[in-house]
Amino acid sequence: MSGKGLKGLPHDSAHTHVTGQSEYIDDRPRLSTEVDVEILFSPHAKAKIKSIRTEKALAYPGVIAVYTAKDFHLNLWGTIFKDQPLLASTEVNFVGESVAIVVAESREIARKARGLVEVDYEILKPILSIDEAKAQNSYIGVKRGIERGHPTKAMRSAPHQIEGKIVIRGADHFYLESQASIAYPLEGGQIEIHTSSQHPTETQHVVAHGIGLHLKDVTCIVKRMGGGFGGKESQGAPFAAYVGLVAHKLKRPARIVITKDDDMIMTGKRNPFENIYRVGFNDDGRIISLIVDLYSDGGAYADLSTSIMERAMLHSDNAYYIPNMKVEGIVCRTNYHPHTAFRGFGGPKGVATIERVIEEVAHALDKDPLEIRKLNCYRPGFDVTHYDQKVDNNVLPELFQKLEDKSNYQARRLEIEEHNREILQNKDTATKPLLRGLSLTPVKFGISFTTRFLNQANALVIVHRDGSLQVSTGATEMGQGANARIATIVCEELGLPRESVRMMPTATDKNANTSPTAASSGTDLNGSAALLATRKIKERLSIVAAKILQLPEDRWAKNTAGLGTEDEIPTSDVYADPEDPNADSKWETGIATYHGIRFEDEHVYHVDNPDKKIAFYELVNEAYLNRVSLSDYAHYRIPGLSFNKLTGKGDAFLYFTQGVGCNEVTLDLDTGEVKVVRSDILMDLGRPINEGLDVGQVVGAYIQGMGWVTTEKLFYSKNGALLAHAPSTYKIPSVQDTPREFNVELLVNDENRMALRGMKAVGEPPLLLAIGVWTAIHDALKTLEPYQKRYPRMELPATQEEVLRAMYPEQFK
Amino acid sequence: MKTKFRDRITFYLNGRLEEVGAEHARMMLADYLREAKRLTGTKIVCAEGDCGACSVLRLQPQFSKSKRQGRFLAINSCITTVAQMDGSSLVTVDALAMPSDEAHASNGAKLSPVQKSMMESHGSQCGFCTPGFVVALTGLVEKKLCQGITKGTCTAKEAMNATTGNLCRCTGYQPIIDSATRLDLGECESLNKRFLSKNQQKTLAASRTKPICFKDDRFSFYAPTKLADAAKYLSKNKTARLIGAGTDLGVVHNKGKLKLTHLVSLHLIPELYQIQKSAKTVKVGARVSLSELRVFVQKLVPEFSTFLDLFASPQIKNSATLIGNIGNASPIADTPPFLLTTNTVLHIIGPKGKRKLPFEKFYLGYRKTALKPGELISSIEFEIPRKNSTLKLYKVSQRKDLDISAINAAIHVEWEKSGRPKIDTIKIAFGGVAATPVRVPKTETFLKGKTITGGVHDETLKRAVELIQTEITPLDDLRGSGRFRRVLAQNLFLKFFREELKS
Repeated sequence: MSGKGLKGLPHDSAHTHVTGQSEYIDDRPRLSTEVDVEILFSPHAKAKIKSIRTEKALAYPGVIAVYTAKDFHLNLWGTIFKDQPLLASTEVNFVGESVAIVVAESREIARKARGLVEVDYEILKPILSIDEAKAQNSYIGVKRGIERGHPTKAMRSAPHQIEGKIVIRGADHFYLESQASIAYPLEGGQIEIHTSSQHPTETQHVVAHGIGLHLKDVTCIVKRMGGGFGGKESQGAPFAAYVGLVAHKLKRPARIVITKDDDMIMTGKRNPFENIYRVGFNDDGRIISLIVDLYSDGGAYADLSTSIMERAMLHSDNAYYIPNMKVEGIVCRTNYHPHTAFRGFGGPKGVATIERVIEEVAHALDKDPLEIRKLNCYRPGFDVTHYDQKVDNNVLPELFQKLEDKSNYQARRLEIEEHNREILQNKDTATKPLLRGLSLTPVKFGISFTTRFLNQANALVIVHRDGSLQVSTGATEMGQGANARIATIVCEELGLPRESVRMMPTATDKNANTSPTAASSGTDLNGSAALLATRKIKERLSIVAAKILQLPEDRWAKNTAGLGTEDEIPTSDVYADPEDPNADSKWETGIATYHGIRFEDEHVYHVDNPDKKIAFYELVNEAYLNRVSLSDYAHYRIPGLSFNKLTGKGDAFLYFTQGVGCNEVTLDLDTGEVKVVRSDILMDLGRPINEGLDVGQVVGAYIQGMGWVTTEKLFYSKNGALLAHAPSTYKIPSVQDTPREFNVELLVNDENRMALRGMKAVGEPPLLLAIGVWTAIHDALKTLEPYQKRYPRMELPATQEEVLRAMYPEQFK
Repeated sequence: MKTKFRDRITFYLNGRLEEVGAEHARMMLADYLREAKRLTGTKIVCAEGDCGACSVLRLQPQFSKSKRQGRFLAINSCITTVAQMDGSSLVTVDALAMPSDEAHASNGAKLSPVQKSMMESHGSQCGFCTPGFVVALTGLVEKKLCQGITKGTCTAKEAMNATTGNLCRCTGYQPIIDSATRLDLGECESLNKRFLSKNQQKTLAASRTKPICFKDDRFSFYAPTKLADAAKYLSKNKTARLIGAGTDLGVVHNKGKLKLTHLVSLHLIPELYQIQKSAKTVKVGARVSLSELRVFVQKLVPEFSTFLDLFASPQIKNSATLIGNIGNASPIADTPPFLLTTNTVLHIIGPKGKRKLPFEKFYLGYRKTALKPGELISSIEFEIPRKNSTLKLYKVSQRKDLDISAINAAIHVEWEKSGRPKIDTIKIAFGGVAATPVRVPKTETFLKGKTITGGVHDETLKRAVELIQTEITPLDDLRGSGRFRRVLAQNLFLKFFREELKS
């Protein structure tokens, strides 16, 4: 189901990954003058800082410096609201908040010495739940809403109504490479930062502002990350600022690589949500009205939480047409680490909520939830969202039908009912009493940043004289394969083999003012920019080719340019549409042709005379000798975005990625253990640029989502300290947790005309299909006596303990 | 006297001899590889042996008495000191690709079949865990080659079992499993051939006959060749710490809770590598790895062998020992319930000579044992369950594999001669329900001689369940609430009888 047999070359770094040669931040060789940096962070969720004494730490042999808030020029950062200090000075607002940085000759010394920094705290009472925050009116930003129809009126008139609450917990990104940065001081006060970040531009800004430099004097470079998943969208930046400060002050290279434990304690997680829903529906199960109040836990500072809330509100419909709908959301300010982006952003929290609603409707009417899902699904005539965007190229009905057939849903449904009946009858004698549950759920995920100005990208393409290329874009590589896809797009456009292109590290001196690599949009945005830049070069090369194909070889520039006996070939500047990467190309191939010149198999020829060919490298050389530019830069911006955040209306997305998943689970009646025994996934990914990489994203995102809805529990002390801060206590899925049967298929869909070459973004959407594991657990529980009448409302994640509690509620009292 | 000891440790790294003294011997192996040797393919993530990114391959030649030849096994390099590598041959991911004449700018070396298959199957995404997986799968291939299987490929199940100790956050594992099921064993070359010559084996064997003693201002290391010397040294040096595989101590060291500065290792004492079976018992030496133990008891105590599959990772089991599992007196260690129900005896040596201690008397309190200063356990001897008995072992954790238990249990019943359902004697032990692993004597006494006739609803069992609840005192913690543990203790107990009374 993956790899061989699927179209697409391996990841562009696969070779160095498997040999261990791929370089991550801490793999960079140490310079002799390099120093190590460690952070002293707050042990309290809320406290006043009365004093910070650094003498003892400074006296420790090998310690070079200790810096605190006052050492920063501007001690403030934040992506949306600048509300977070780089180092706390007067108060701390979460366990893990940075207070001081210790600089030493070795990591071992820095780690030891940070414990010698003496901070005198006055402990205050923290806010440690959404309820407490609500009671104290502790919010970040304001309440926003999206409304359509007459939700309150329609609710009253609905034959059936259900009210409920869903509790969704956070999750740790658990990228394997912890937050890490190295800063090198360069001549003239410049700083060069190498960091593991999804957002080099913001990192550059935070470092420059923090230490008081112009942006021109700070360059930020990202070669690759050992995983990101959203956790390095905003939260990598302060670590870069710390080493930037040290390099600036000491004029010595500085390195910070925090431990997994520190990383988990200090950095924010997926936002927890507690949502209240009211649904009105008719006897068939058609939803007439839905009113949802979303409350998220933003932690101590804003970070990206308001944007995350916005996406949650925009995904509270998921795949369903809801005629009357009102969704409101507000972020609670608490005293946990500032929660942040995590694959899916707000989407999974909105979708989990509406999927719970669907399940409750089905349960109330004693119907199969799949029936309710199909009944309410977006379909022709009912294909406008609550924010008034039409769902174009909607394949949801087709996806439902196909997967229902492929997964043999109806037959398995009957078989499972029979099995559960039998097991409950014989559970006193059964060897292994397992309840089975089945659930088929959809996802419709909007592709674009909901903040319009982020939907732009730029790329630099350089053709060298041997015909090999270097491509630099704002897309950072965190494993998702953006580089491999972009390289493929460029190679195919120029008819070159994959080895011809080297994808360069993302660096702010080549690609400035970039957006984070996030929102699944890395390839969409940056691939489009790279393609546009390539086409500019391609058109110029085509003009040169058209000319020299008509010249005898002795008149080519390689034979004449030194003498100046031939006129130069004139090439004019070319128009490339910054809003449509498909503008010049044939839709079937995605490849553009200029002046009748085709680029194929490292050669070019005129369509009228395919036998007469010039090698690509020769053409490049001719172009150079004719003083034609072999490099180009392009900017791309997503067209047609009209979403107004204040009215909650408009086109928020360029298009939607859709998919369905069918999950079967077993629950052990003795222990509550959950096993996913079979998963069938069908995704519409348009026309994949690299099928192998796309399927890899589907499988990886799905398993990551499975962890979030089952085993991954962030266990905090009652004082707000995260106690599960290592893999020994925080359980992401292991290889043994993968479904015993796992089928992933892609729908054939050639009609996504909005996006680059008809592709669809894939990074986040499949994660939301794992919500079907959570609903399948409910499906199994529904057969138990206590849940004949009431729906088994579980928290998310449904951990083994939660499942056992749901099975034997009276024993947990 | 001075010449009697070696003042450095000896090992091979990627085929080259390394002899290091205190300065490097004190380092964690992963740090040594990355910093001192600039072999940065090996990654550090959790520093606690839970993620496998630091995996390297290690071969320990067997002492001459053993017929088995050693082979390269995956271990965690982040939780072991370099000192503990004495006498081993190590191979890291950096050396697995074969040098090639057709070197190309982007293709520096010829990939090993494992690496090639990983690449072609999209087995790497961000790449940070990849070296660890390559090492773990290379360990699997090595096992098959050493078993004489040189054709075909690996099964998905084998691949999964070999990589249970490796975490990946990107791929969802499926492509990695696929990579193992697609590789051609016929193309694979044994690491033994590539990295360990006869001469090297001789060098290592020779080094192991000489005890080690060295120190500098930060680190002391002592490794005698005789058991009595170890006991003598421990009783004289109060700061010295006995280290076996160090899979627990290494973690505690990394997390800064204690520092490994003065170590005594038993790795040069041949008798501690022995497993012996007598008519009634199995005696396990202090240096026997859990992997070896698992194989040894496969037929003798299949329930225990299967149980050993579930707990810890292959990397841990390839070095960790049974004695290490009980020695730190963790209330939630996984083998004590088994040992508590099989009349286990500890063989102890100390300054006053040898003594035997019933395992039931070993735990005195939370992380406290009956070992006196200077004493060490040389072997553990447990009874093989008799024919007319049933032994069941249970473990429940948040995640099924490679997780610390919320609760574990052992139930061992000897049935009356007439057979089920009449109990002759019963032993029940739990972990995770009190400050130490515990038996439930009142329940056991109550059930002695009882006949269970009413299935799981039998009045006797109901009473027993109530008794168990009075004998355990589970706490709430991050692995589960006390309630959760109580319900589990009851359910596991009833599960035992449900299954037994059925057949």
